[in-house]
Amino acid sequence: MAIESDVLVVGGGISGVTSAVAAARNGADVRLISHKKTTLRQASGLVDGLGYVPGRSQSTDREGSPSQKRRDFREFRDNRSEYWGPLITPFDGIDSLPDGHPYSVLGADALRSGLSLFDDLVGDSYLGGHTEKNALVPTFGGTVKPTARYPRAAAAGIASDNRSMLVAGFRSFTDFDARMVADNLEAAGVPFEVTGAEIAFADLFPADAEVTRFAKALDHDERIDGTPARQALADAVSPHVGDAERVGFPALLGDDNADEVRAELEERLGAAVFEIPTGPPSLPGLRLEDRLYAALDAEGVKYETGCPVVGYETAAGTPSRVETVLVDRSGQEIPYSASAFVLATGGFVGKGLDSDRDRVFEPVFDCHVPQPPDRYDWFVDDAFGDHPYARFGVNPDATMRPLDADGDPEFTNLYAAGSAVGGADVAREKSASGVSLATGAVAGRAAAAAIDDLNLELGTTEI
Amino acid sequence: MTNETNENDDPTAQPRATDGGSAVEPVDDASAGENSEIVEVFPEGDLDLRAGADDCYKCTTCDISCPVAEVDEEFPGPKFQGPEQWRLKRKEDIDIGDSITSCSNCMRCDSACPSDVPLSQMHNEARGEYVDEQMSVLSREYIRNRILSNYRTSARFASKVPRFANFMMNFGPVRWVMEKTLGVTKEREFPEFAEQTFREWWHDRGGAQVQNADKRVAYFHGCYSNYNTPEVAKAMVRVFEYFDYEVLVPPQQCSGTPMFANGMLTDARRHAVTNVTELAATIDDGADIIASCTSCSLSLRQEYPELFDIDRIEDVAGNTFEALEYLRIHEDLEEALSDAELDGQSFAYHGPCHARNQGLHRQAVELFRDVDDVHVEDVGDSCSGISGTYGWKAEKYKTSMKIGEEMFDHLERAEGDTGMTECPTCAMQMEHGTGYEIRHPLQLIEDALLA
Amino acid sequence: MPHSIVVIGGGATGTGTARDLAMRGFNVTLVERGNLTEGTTGRTHGHLHSGARYAVSDQESAVDCMQENRILRDIAGHCIEDTGGLFVQLEGDPDEYFEKKLEDCEECGIPTEVISGEEARRREPYLSANVERAIWVPDGAIDPFRLCVANAADAVDHGATVETHAEVVDVLVDDGSVTGVEIERHGPTYLGKGSEGDIETLQADYVVSATGAWAGQLAEMAGIELKMSISKGAMVVTNVRQLDTVINRCLPKGEGDTIIPHETTVLLGANDDPVDDPDNYPEEQREVDMMIDIAAEMVPVVADARMIRAYWGVRPLYDPDPRSTTDPGDVTRNYFILDHAERDSVEGFASVVGGKLTTYREMSESVADHVCEAFGVDATCRTHEKPLPGSTDPSALDDRMDEFDLRSPIARRSRQRLGDRAPEVLDIDGANPTICACEGVSRAEIQDAIGRVGANLNGVRLQTRASMGNCQGGFCTHRLGAELYLDHERGAARDEIDRLYQERWKGQRHTLWGEQLSQAMLNHMLHATTMNHDADPAVFDDEIDYGAYDSGVAAEGSHGD
Repeated sequence: MAIESDVLVVGGGISGVTSAVAAARNGADVRLISHKKTTLRQASGLVDGLGYVPGRSQSTDREGSPSQKRRDFREFRDNRSEYWGPLITPFDGIDSLPDGHPYSVLGADALRSGLSLFDDLVGDSYLGGHTEKNALVPTFGGTVKPTARYPRAAAAGIASDNRSMLVAGFRSFTDFDARMVADNLEAAGVPFEVTGAEIAFADLFPADAEVTRFAKALDHDERIDGTPARQALADAVSPHVGDAERVGFPALLGDDNADEVRAELEERLGAAVFEIPTGPPSLPGLRLEDRLYAALDAEGVKYETGCPVVGYETAAGTPSRVETVLVDRSGQEIPYSASAFVLATGGFVGKGLDSDRDRVFEPVFDCHVPQPPDRYDWFVDDAFGDHPYARFGVNPDATMRPLDADGDPEFTNLYAAGSAVGGADVAREKSASGVSLATGAVAGRAAAAAIDDLNLELGTTEI
Repeated sequence: MTNETNENDDPTAQPRATDGGSAVEPVDDASAGENSEIVEVFPEGDLDLRAGADDCYKCTTCDISCPVAEVDEEFPGPKFQGPEQWRLKRKEDIDIGDSITSCSNCMRCDSACPSDVPLSQMHNEARGEYVDEQMSVLSREYIRNRILSNYRTSARFASKVPRFANFMMNFGPVRWVMEKTLGVTKEREFPEFAEQTFREWWHDRGGAQVQNADKRVAYFHGCYSNYNTPEVAKAMVRVFEYFDYEVLVPPQQCSGTPMFANGMLTDARRHAVTNVTELAATIDDGADIIASCTSCSLSLRQEYPELFDIDRIEDVAGNTFEALEYLRIHEDLEEALSDAELDGQSFAYHGPCHARNQGLHRQAVELFRDVDDVHVEDVGDSCSGISGTYGWKAEKYKTSMKIGEEMFDHLERAEGDTGMTECPTCAMQMEHGTGYEIRHPLQLIEDALLA
Repeated sequence: MPHSIVVIGGGATGTGTARDLAMRGFNVTLVERGNLTEGTTGRTHGHLHSGARYAVSDQESAVDCMQENRILRDIAGHCIEDTGGLFVQLEGDPDEYFEKKLEDCEECGIPTEVISGEEARRREPYLSANVERAIWVPDGAIDPFRLCVANAADAVDHGATVETHAEVVDVLVDDGSVTGVEIERHGPTYLGKGSEGDIETLQADYVVSATGAWAGQLAEMAGIELKMSISKGAMVVTNVRQLDTVINRCLPKGEGDTIIPHETTVLLGANDDPVDDPDNYPEEQREVDMMIDIAAEMVPVVADARMIRAYWGVRPLYDPDPRSTTDPGDVTRNYFILDHAERDSVEGFASVVGGKLTTYREMSESVADHVCEAFGVDATCRTHEKPLPGSTDPSALDDRMDEFDLRSPIARRSRQRLGDRAPEVLDIDGANPTICACEGVSRAEIQDAIGRVGANLNGVRLQTRASMGNCQGGFCTHRLGAELYLDHERGAARDEIDRLYQERWKGQRHTLWGEQLSQAMLNHMLHATTMNHDADPAVFDDEIDYGAYDSGVAAEGSHGD
């Protein structure tokens, strides 16, 4: 006997959660199945909409096979294909995107509705919804980047705020040198004074202690060498604060009790405190994941995590309709049936796309993934160039149904969302979460609508 | 290899394992172990573990999911402990850092890794190698770990004199001596031994009360529900009989979970040989294998085939289910529970790590969501911290409680003041941290269906 | 006043020659256009030949290899991993050749042992079931970078000067005699001397071109025609060591059939195709596929193993009689000292061409002898008996490693890399976190390397192996940049991050499928999405109108209420 629901979402990242909630809000009984922890744990926790628009034509910077020719990184910088940005609002750039881009297919309203669904799910833990404008947020690479929504913990760091800033780093936290971040921000022309300081905190910990260890110590205000952790951190930073009105830290200021940790530090330092999103491993991503799953529960979506979907079966006589998917429960393949399915398994990082020497493929439903036949045409020579691989994914119609090589839907009741969908270079565009939210919202709604259609259809055939 | 004899000579008369539930259990014949070696999964050593590092793309999701790394700054985390360490090895390198003993084998890294790195398998292998090559068999840790991981052996003796054992095990001076000599923390109360084990009860009731060649399950009760919480095992039997299943109770030994966690792979394998042989026989009798303990089901399903090469081990792994999971697949449980009358109970549910690994930690919450007057609240994905024998070690007790802190917090914040979980040692920790009574979902189903 | 000699080329032969000449009392300057090993030496297979490979076809090379193999084990122990090698005969491979190989090895003084297929698989479990038997020979793996650094360091200790990032742009000839070279700097040397774009003249009494594949271009600067027979070879790098022994196929015309364990990886290679320009030749998908397919015949798991990178090297072959063959596989691996006085009537100039990494020392000795002869200097070679720095017994260090707060496999790797320099390098103040987790490289090693090569992350990489593991720099390039930030000028760290990231991409793109494609995407997300490195306003001089963007939820949001 199969485990049943109206809509079954395969994949539990931001697009899976969004589509599940969108379907549930449209009246469907929804179940979400996710295999592993989400890639949110590797991401910054910032929710990008659209920050840059790469050139419309996909360029390739060589002919034939690559060569060992000596080339300086500056040559790559100088010849990088045009792109515009940072965009003042994500919506400024949508018309300029290439045709196959999900935003071009779905339109700006899909992004708006995805973002508003997100605002609803995360409540006051995220900011940015008060305006359509992008926020420029400092990165741990010492740059600023445009983003649509940012966690409350990062709010005091935004770059269009004139307050003077101190960036604090730890000697054993190797991902950034605070002085270098400050120096680079200055070089980026930020409109405020910024300095960096390396401080000694929890030096008793071994050099390679995990960021979660620091977070936990602050969460519980553990005594470190006799002093409560929050006080110890404040004491270490205090001498460097000077005139700074805000102080930025690597994103490890607590997990469960992060707001409390920040508030106490602010009080002790007499300055606003914020996190510079870091990761992987990413505590902001972890916190967002927790929040999204709590929302999922509250929306009445059933979910289970830990087991992969390994295959599917179509309805007898209608090979174009997915009837069940098979979930591998530690060796046993258990069927799950639904009226509509959402493919939200992720891209290459989330393993929703896989590849071998000959081809790129989508492993669950084997949906068509457009790609050049020659592996050496999947990339260009500039590491940050316009890589075809970065745009790989299924090719959807306007209701997010993946299309086959002939342009017809692969299945009548399968929808796709998130990084499994191709057409966007989300990394260069700074559009990753936005694409997930927009496609998730549309796919979820379309899947819920499909149940009604299906019931109608089945109802008539019964008569 | 077992000296258990089959009391029933005619296998066609009745499935052999419905032997009326011999109250006499298979003896853990230590001599069997001397001739029985660990069948090395990787016959020439650690090669496959190095290859397992191929899947790692360094995302560190495992590290951020590790409950030990979050409270113990000395623990390097699963990424280092697993793929990184193995990748740095050369043929002649054998030394494994002692931090491997800090891993509690919660296996969260397995369910975290987006890239299928065999993390827990790497940890288990490394721990086994560490114990074999680098730990003195005369050390206090070794002796203590061996005793803890062979819980079944102690429990079997204790259950013969349960009242005496219950007194002695929690008698202050005895515990003081145990901590000093063996390093078993005196902070914890030993679980009580039941006056009648599950197997004794099963034998006394005359074994199965339903005969049904079409619906047959073999119950792997594990040690804990036999010796300490037979009410869970009884609930399992009654619920399955309610759905008209014939329950077999084959001879069995420890699932191996505590032994893996202590690197005692030789012990674990000895027990596995018995279990696989006996359970495979029930498969031939048409049964699927059911466990009520999620660590037992995980061990049979995942760790057995990963660590041992025993005839029919894949067969056993491929036919093992957790009890509730099985009913949800084969019966309309929701329908059966729809008329249930349970008066206004609220439970704070903790999903055990090992249940998460099998995708099972939401099923209790979901099942009772639509049942009137019952509220099962998931207290979130923190680890209980006890991880079987881990929290019993004096030097790990603090770590264990520190990990558990978040769960205690969440339990207390939840509406109900009765706890619920599938895992017996998580239950122990929940009780230890909150004083709550802890129930197994099967007991609630039993109440709902059979009250 | 000792004679001044300019040695061109920072590979094994150049550094070896500089060391030898310096030890014999010459005033030596070594010039290299990039980092040490940037040419062929850094792009070899790292094969310490026993000579068995050439025993049938080229006995002279074979004998040289075996002799040098023995010497290198004595003088450069920390650069060598004594893996042993196997020539495997697969089902269907000719018996006659196997027997011939055995006989000829004996003739060349190469120790052998014939083992059964079963025994071979016992030693290397991943060998194919089709291996029928194998010949064991004393092959090994050699780390060319450590070797060059040790040679260069010893040369400096003997008074030589090493100019890295200094490209020879002209060979100065006056009245039929070479008088020096003109160099253009591509950046400061490892000592921070000079800056990009500087043109300088180095006077010399004698110039040795140890530029290998580039010898033709160098000679041309002196108006000399020198035709090299260079050929390219692709090598593919696995993510983990599936093997601990060098594996060769026992076939007459081997191409791409050698598998060499190297550090944490295994190198598959290499084909042999002629090219014209050592700086510009195609790197082809078919070559990568061919290396994997050929290796998989001997070691089937390789077919599905993760590859992290591929690279190409150019063999510095010289054919004294170019009409004899058109197949680069047939060009001799022997080396030649071309005295341009004799050959081209240009005094004070010699080129050393051909040869193998394994015979670099002998080549250096010969060219140094030649220079001595030219000046009538009577000084004997001691490079075969005087150990290179760092090569004393590393096992004596084991007990000291715990002191440095390194987790044991990382400590072990540090020890393997650093040899007897380990205690000195690792003894730093304060925390010593791991910077490159793939290769187990800690801050102390990175700081030591920065001290040696300056603001040059590629150089740091070569010294330490940082960024050479499975993530190919995805997780450590920015950390390495942060490590060099403090002591260097503003912008240097940012540029070096980009330089190293591009360099890592260059090799990684060739193996872009499966896990490495996932890795590439994750790296792309980390550097482009999270850090915005691709559009850094500081780099691209974009004027950003900060006031036009979200400035926060007025007052209440940004003051942390």
